[in-house]
Amino acid sequence: MVTVAHYVGLSFVLFTIGVVGVLIRRNLLTVLMSIELILNAVNINLVAFARQLGDLTGHVFVVFVIAVAAGEAAIGLAIVVSLYRLKSTVSLDDASEMKG
Amino acid sequence: MTFPFPASDLLVILPELVLTQLALGILLWATVVRKGREATLAWVSIASLAAAAVLIPVAARLSGPLPRAAFGGMLTLDRFSIFFKVLVLLATAVTILFSLKFVGTSSYPGGEYYALLLFSAVGMLFMASGTHLVSIYIALELMALSQYVLAGYFKRETKSVEAAAKYFVLGAFSSGVLLYGISLVYGAAGSLDLGDVARSLAATPRSSLLGVGIVLTASGMLFKIASAPFHVWAPDVYEGAPTPISAFFSVGPKLAAYAIFARIFFVGFGPRAGDWAPVLAASAALTMVVGNVGALLQQNVKRMLGYSSIGHAGYALLGLLAYASGTDARGENFGLWAILIYLAAYLLMTLGAFGLVVLLEAKGYATESVDDFNGLSKKNPLAAAAMLVFLLSLAGIPPTAGFVGKYFLFSAAMKAGWPSLALLAVLMSAVSLFYYFRIARAMYLVEGEGELRWREEPAVAAAVAVCVAGTLLLGILPQPFVALAKSCLLP
Amino acid sequence: MPTTPFSPLGADLLSTLVFLPAVGALVLLFVPDGARKTIQGIGLLFSGATFAVSVLALLRFNPDLVGSEAFRSLMVDRPWIPRFGIRYLLAVDGLSLSLVLLTTLLTLSVLLVACGQKIDRFKGYVAAFLVLETGMLGSLVALDMILFYVFWEVMLIPMYFIIGIWGGKRRIYATMKFVLFTLAGSLLMFVAILFAANVNAQATGIQTFSLLDWVPAALGGAWGLTPRSEALLFWAFALAFLVKVPLWPLHTWLPDAHVEAPTGGSVILAGVLLKLGTYGLLRFALPLFPNATARYTPFIAVLALIGIVYGAWVAAAQKDMKKLVAYSSVSHLALVVLGIFAVNATAVSGAVVQMVGHGLTTGLLFMLVGVLYDRRHTREMADYGGVASQVPVTTTLFLIATLGSIGLPGLNGFVGEFLILGGVFKVSVLWCAVAATGMVLSAIYLLTLVQKVFWGPSTVAANRGLTDMNGWELAGALPLIAFVVILGVYPAPLLNLVKNSVESIVQVARVRMLP
Repeated sequence: MVTVAHYVGLSFVLFTIGVVGVLIRRNLLTVLMSIELILNAVNINLVAFARQLGDLTGHVFVVFVIAVAAGEAAIGLAIVVSLYRLKSTVSLDDASEMKG
Repeated sequence: MTFPFPASDLLVILPELVLTQLALGILLWATVVRKGREATLAWVSIASLAAAAVLIPVAARLSGPLPRAAFGGMLTLDRFSIFFKVLVLLATAVTILFSLKFVGTSSYPGGEYYALLLFSAVGMLFMASGTHLVSIYIALELMALSQYVLAGYFKRETKSVEAAAKYFVLGAFSSGVLLYGISLVYGAAGSLDLGDVARSLAATPRSSLLGVGIVLTASGMLFKIASAPFHVWAPDVYEGAPTPISAFFSVGPKLAAYAIFARIFFVGFGPRAGDWAPVLAASAALTMVVGNVGALLQQNVKRMLGYSSIGHAGYALLGLLAYASGTDARGENFGLWAILIYLAAYLLMTLGAFGLVVLLEAKGYATESVDDFNGLSKKNPLAAAAMLVFLLSLAGIPPTAGFVGKYFLFSAAMKAGWPSLALLAVLMSAVSLFYYFRIARAMYLVEGEGELRWREEPAVAAAVAVCVAGTLLLGILPQPFVALAKSCLLP
Repeated sequence: MPTTPFSPLGADLLSTLVFLPAVGALVLLFVPDGARKTIQGIGLLFSGATFAVSVLALLRFNPDLVGSEAFRSLMVDRPWIPRFGIRYLLAVDGLSLSLVLLTTLLTLSVLLVACGQKIDRFKGYVAAFLVLETGMLGSLVALDMILFYVFWEVMLIPMYFIIGIWGGKRRIYATMKFVLFTLAGSLLMFVAILFAANVNAQATGIQTFSLLDWVPAALGGAWGLTPRSEALLFWAFALAFLVKVPLWPLHTWLPDAHVEAPTGGSVILAGVLLKLGTYGLLRFALPLFPNATARYTPFIAVLALIGIVYGAWVAAAQKDMKKLVAYSSVSHLALVVLGIFAVNATAVSGAVVQMVGHGLTTGLLFMLVGVLYDRRHTREMADYGGVASQVPVTTTLFLIATLGSIGLPGLNGFVGEFLILGGVFKVSVLWCAVAATGMVLSAIYLLTLVQKVFWGPSTVAANRGLTDMNGWELAGALPLIAFVVILGVYPAPLLNLVKNSVESIVQVARVRMLP
């Protein structure tokens, strides 16, 4: 029997992978994918809870999150492209000039 | 939720609707405007903001008695939201004034720039009145997505793109964390409507699900207001972004973030205040120290102002904390009141200081070190005097708005039983004097070498003059504004 | 909001007094930089008018009123931020009025002297002094704690610029040190004000910052402070004021600030700003926290005694005239602090008289050192010697000021010192004895100063062309000299003026000192 707890557990694992990915990987594309993982962990949670509660709001929210995530990815990739044009790298550390 | 909504709900968002339409129009118009002719667009943008501002009271009048909930509780128009809306519109308009020549003389097109600023303003307007976690999230993202682009708007400048990349990564990450927290709260409370969340939290016992949810939501919010330990993005973004955008970032998004911070935590998580107050207290203490000590080490004025705004976020957290401790003997909640007053003061003095940084730039994108202010008092006494007023206000020295704001915040913290934090805040104000006075010292005590780069921009100068007047007026005769802020509190 | 109309020379006399100089500074904004004559005129007009207003206030004031009644005679009380009980509350008693007169007189003198000397950025200089005067007068007459704090901080800014712009070589270091020391103290006081207001609001249910409400509440035991919180509050206030005084070991900013400050800055610093520290002790720290005062009196008295001897000793070793006078201030002000903490009417009246007296004599000494510095651009005693024949007038005035400072009978320093020592004697013979040594030492180093600079053989060739004081400088110095002599020969008016306020302060502060 698969319960809500299982879904929450899965989402927590995804969320953790995402957070760790953002924190330790310096390649912007990997970071971007990690952020997507976090958002998908959110989606799993929302759907699982919505199902448990019998409430539509969670489902609606998921659609919004997916839409926003698409927009975010588009802008993120655009920034990565401009950074690559200037610096020929997609690593944030290599591109970093400002410190302190 | 009830479908369909009554048409009168649309009146509640009249200003936002009109501003969105105008912003779309400007975006379209921008495609046919030639480079160098964008000034018209800027003025139209300012007119759009003014139109939105004028429509706020109209919307309030037409849509019925305040507070007026709309769209099944998604949004609420109340005096609290109106307070923030007016400040946000003001901040955006001033930013556009700052940008007029800054963008006009750059090699980048201006049309999309103004449209993005307006979109971001729309997002902030919705944030101010969001009372449902879905609407709050979407409004937040509308604001944030526009701002990622704005940070990297000077796309051939490495610093600008680097700022955008950092801002994006940390912003998107913090949104993710915030959202994850929201999803857990949804699971625990069974609703995303803030009112329902509060009712449910008051009834349900403590649970780890809820605890983690609240802490993650708080972390996401602390990111947005650039509080320690989630502040690392701020200095780089402020330094790298185009100066008018730095000014905008240090004011607009923060105001809107404080609005939703207050709403989520007081309206939604209010019943659990005892749980999250210590988290905020720790963050406030750390933020004040990190911001002020960090600013001490900076030579770049934009970066220094970035750190100083971190410090100010720490002071403002004291207000949130005080709010969490509930009402005092007179049934008044001092904390939020203090925040409103402080944010208004912060808006005036920060925009003013950034305005002078804008005026002092020549190459448009040079690093603005403290030495650039050398000898300003001789070359332009009025500008130096204006900057001095802002610096004194930022440091919290009377008789300026900053002092009044700090007075309210610190006494709120004192009343709420956090005297040690109030003491720390005062000590940090003393530290802040070191770096604010470095600029004063450069302006008045050090001889300038060579020509000072100074731009003749009447529009910016006028905006700065308004900020000076406001800073002094709020400092000397705070009473009318204090009373106004009082009427704009959350119930 | 305000219901009564504004009457500048009637009920709102004190508002006029406080803000008249600031108006002058505002007017100066519209005067072109080069118009030196106009700037002089405006500066003298406004500082002169302020002096006149303060004299008017003296005439209106009734020194026979006792206790808090004394404040009623010239009180201005309007709401400022009524929601929080913050009021625009100005009032004077004999204590503050005597210092108000000192302030207005010294500011006028400083501006007169400035007219006779070469000062670049003259407009800013005059404006800074006018703003400073508003801050000083405001601090002296404000009885609402928040209003007092506002004025207290307002003083800081012009002083920062006066030292920082018109100062000597190490001016930036000196001015930063001055600002940071003072600010650290005053921010502490700010927290204490907020805390005390909270205590008061909880105890009495009234949100107020008025000292006139606080003192009775604190005395009546309504505040119910634990000894620990009372001690903390007392120290928060006392530190802010003791830094300003400055009491050993908090004095290190003073020699730097004095040496680097321009003449006018030194005069006002020594003449008025230091007195605001002792004034603050008398007005706020003692009446509000009598128990803590009693508990820490021995400790502060020991610091004061160390200060008296240390200041005198270090002064004796100085080669720089300004440093010497600065350290003599450390010593003399420590005596005032000792007098205050003796908490009896004799010693406290002596302290007040000495505050006024020290303001006049030390102000004069700095002014006259400034006259020499203006011509020779050196403060080293070794660069002078035997200049009495070139500058007879300066020499005479300097000698009178020195003798006044030493406490020669017949000049004003004597009255204050005598009363302080007499009062201290009642408390402790030992304290009195140590304090008296300081006085002896002061005679030695100050007379040595006069001897080295003015008398003896004229050895330095550069002093040949030394010119004596010009008319402006004389106009600035003579009124001070006159008061030094008058108050020495006939101190009764001053003593009468301050008698009742001193008695009520002592009474209040002693209420709980008796077991």
